[in-house]
Amino acid sequence: MIQPQTHLNVADNSGARELMCIRVIGASNRRYAHIGDVIVAVIKEAVPNTPLERSEVIRAVIVRTRKELKRDNGMIIRYDDNAAVVIDQEGNPKGTRIFGAIARELRQLNFTKIVSLAPEVL
Amino acid sequence: MFDDLMKKYGEVVFKKNGRKSPSAELDDDAESLSFAVEMAKVASDVKAADIRVLFVKPLVYWTRFFIIATAFSRPQIDAIGSRIRDLAEKKYGKVPSGDAKPNSWTLLDFGDVVVHIFLPQQRAFYNLEEFYGNATLIELPSETQPPFHT
Repeated sequence: MIQPQTHLNVADNSGARELMCIRVIGASNRRYAHIGDVIVAVIKEAVPNTPLERSEVIRAVIVRTRKELKRDNGMIIRYDDNAAVVIDQEGNPKGTRIFGAIARELRQLNFTKIVSLAPEVL
Repeated sequence: MFDDLMKKYGEVVFKKNGRKSPSAELDDDAESLSFAVEMAKVASDVKAADIRVLFVKPLVYWTRFFIIATAFSRPQIDAIGSRIRDLAEKKYGKVPSGDAKPNSWTLLDFGDVVVHIFLPQQRAFYNLEEFYGNATLIELPSETQPPFHT
């Protein structure tokens, strides 16, 4: 359940460290974003000397949420943090590697690029 | 009530019916392999360079084969993508998900086979071969000629 003003960790090596959601992409007045949704975010903290800088506005895909994700088979997945991966306008990830486990739902939502860079898919 | 269940499943470890036998798995692998090799051949027909077919099934559960290819321009990416899409649909009846428009990293997801078409710069940037360095490389019959260098 990511909404504007939520702070998220960054799960890739793009150079950003912390994001703040400022808009959920989708229908107008959409309240919350879940795993696999695209948000507009601002970089709150960045690694020095990387292409991405603090206070830059970027797009990101949510890959982990503390709010549990329910599957049809009754499985429930809940992560310890809220995390997102920075993408560009075309949908390519800005970093080259993803950190941590991600959910397989991303593949169904056409983020196979992120899935193929991830070390572990749940 | 439990006696019935005990009689049915109590003796041995319960086996799920949905799981395929090892021989069926091998058949599926062979089918995907022939599909992947055919796709790679089509890509090399359209002058895609440096085509690699990787058997990634031991590393990731969600797919069996990766095809990684380089194209030198977006129109070429478009050409490779549409040729692969046409052949897959006509011959195998598979429709890919993934990028519809040519992109600097175009991905076609056929389920068991995932095709990545890169521009040279993006290929070096993402360096997928290194990430999947432990995967088995499949030899392609048509890749005997020396690689093209500019």
